[in-house]
Amino acid sequence: MRSRVQSEAGFSVAEMLIASAIMITVVGAVFSVMNPSQGMYRTQPEVTDLQQRLRIAADSMSKDLVMAGSGAYAGGMTGALSNYFAPVMPYRFGDPGAGIYFRLASGATDASDSISLFSVPSTAAQTTIREDMPQPSSELKVEAQANCPPAKTAQLCGFVEGMRAIIFDESGAWDPMVITNVQDAALHMQHKDPLSKSYKKGAVVTMASLHTYYLLADDATKTYQLRHSDGISDLPLVDNVVKLEIEYYGDPRAPILLPNKPLSDPVGPWTTYGPKPPALGVDNTNDTWGAGENCLYAVVSGAHSPRLPNLAGGFGQVQLTRAMLTDGPWCPDGANAMRYDADLLRLRRVRIKVRVQAPTEMRGPAGTLFRRAGTSGAGQHFVPDQEISFDVTPRNLNLGR
Amino acid sequence: MGLAKSRSSDSAAGFSLVEVLIATMLLATALVMLAQLFVLSTQSNIGARNTTFTAVLAQQKLEELRALTWGFDTQGLPISDTSTNTAVSPETPAGGTGLAPSPAGTLGANTDGYVDYIGQFGEKLGGGAAPPANTVFVRRWSVEPLPSNPNNTLILQVLVFRNKERGAANNGAGTLLPEEARLVTVKTRKSQ
Repeated sequence: MRSRVQSEAGFSVAEMLIASAIMITVVGAVFSVMNPSQGMYRTQPEVTDLQQRLRIAADSMSKDLVMAGSGAYAGGMTGALSNYFAPVMPYRFGDPGAGIYFRLASGATDASDSISLFSVPSTAAQTTIREDMPQPSSELKVEAQANCPPAKTAQLCGFVEGMRAIIFDESGAWDPMVITNVQDAALHMQHKDPLSKSYKKGAVVTMASLHTYYLLADDATKTYQLRHSDGISDLPLVDNVVKLEIEYYGDPRAPILLPNKPLSDPVGPWTTYGPKPPALGVDNTNDTWGAGENCLYAVVSGAHSPRLPNLAGGFGQVQLTRAMLTDGPWCPDGANAMRYDADLLRLRRVRIKVRVQAPTEMRGPAGTLFRRAGTSGAGQHFVPDQEISFDVTPRNLNLGR
Repeated sequence: MGLAKSRSSDSAAGFSLVEVLIATMLLATALVMLAQLFVLSTQSNIGARNTTFTAVLAQQKLEELRALTWGFDTQGLPISDTSTNTAVSPETPAGGTGLAPSPAGTLGANTDGYVDYIGQFGEKLGGGAAPPANTVFVRRWSVEPLPSNPNNTLILQVLVFRNKERGAANNGAGTLLPEEARLVTVKTRKSQ
């Protein structure tokens, strides 16, 4: 009985000390394991998110870039768009109106932080102008489409109101437009956009996709977004993108006329790249160049001679610098509102560098790991920026390669 | 009665030292195993990043090779780029191998002209037989003529992996370890 009473007396000091020592050791060990775990618990979902954002950025841009320049396959002028105008542009769609022909990326010398791409999707909405425009017109009188089903009274299959389309011709001129009205039976369409010139019979009107990708970097609101615009709606695609640098690589050789292809042949291409010049002695009254000339070819001693120089010997690609892409010669000519630098027609490959960052509370001081400083003071809560670099060779701009 | 009382007071006496020790050990083991899960998740995130990077880098090299001239000139004669060095950025027209057919085994060993080294942010560090110190990824490629049409069609293969010893996987047969990427494509001469 005594001993049992003793056992109810609780622990002795020695037992207490031992128990506490063990407890403190174990709890200490557990905490030392759990403390970094807590950091991982917070950071790892952010790492996954960061990587996914990087994948989305790379994936969506590759997908659209690879299709850039795909041309019409019905109507008068088939083949890649780069035989007619420059479908890849180092600026945001609409920038030339503000005099911007290369939107320089912050901290770069020859890379842009914006790119606009045109391509013709798989569509029945392809036709040509039926008669010369008397003036730059909002009314498009077009040919009936031969591929329209006979039972359909409407002979403008594919075209609908609100569709984004482009018009282009052999001279290197082009204009984007949004169709506002389709009169099937009369073979008329209307659009609301100003045209850069009056197009002649035979100019192509086709549905087109526009993709503009650009970096929005606003230090005041701490907004850093990769945004995508189709010319109608402009939406954020990926958040917390702190770097978008796009470099351009192209053919160093001057364009030449293909020797076995007369300019009178109705089916192109007639040149190694870019729009064909008018025949010798024939003047395109729609541009400011002389007879037989266009933005790519001058007439020297009675023969066509390229205006663009050879940038290097051989045919290895060279980087197209900002200076090259903004100094002219301009296509279709220097007075045209939709002009673009002729060197853009050299473009064969695009290199894109994208860098994404974690939210503010997961970033430390600016440096190698972080492009922009964050508020985290503890290394175990750091999620470093990730950067990736990838190339895209648009298939339609490399048909001869 | 007294016995019963003593039994109940006995059971109310709490745990013995041994019991406490066992319980704590169990708790500690469980927590350590839980912490192991975080380590695992970190590792799998790193693995996912490596897989993404290797796939994108392999795609990049394929696009670079695809962009090299492999067509016909304006007279209809074949022209092939066999000198462009794609291991440096920007690439140089001379000093490389372009689309020249590779010797056997360029996927199994670092062969000058058919390998380049990539840094932490996907930047090119150049080629050569040995990787520079800050190499994170190694990218090897091979260019082989298609046996049935050797003059006009090429098989391009790219292998990207983290810069570490691959052991028996370096057999040149395109064996793939986890987190590595190997892409294959075919390139044919096209007329203008």
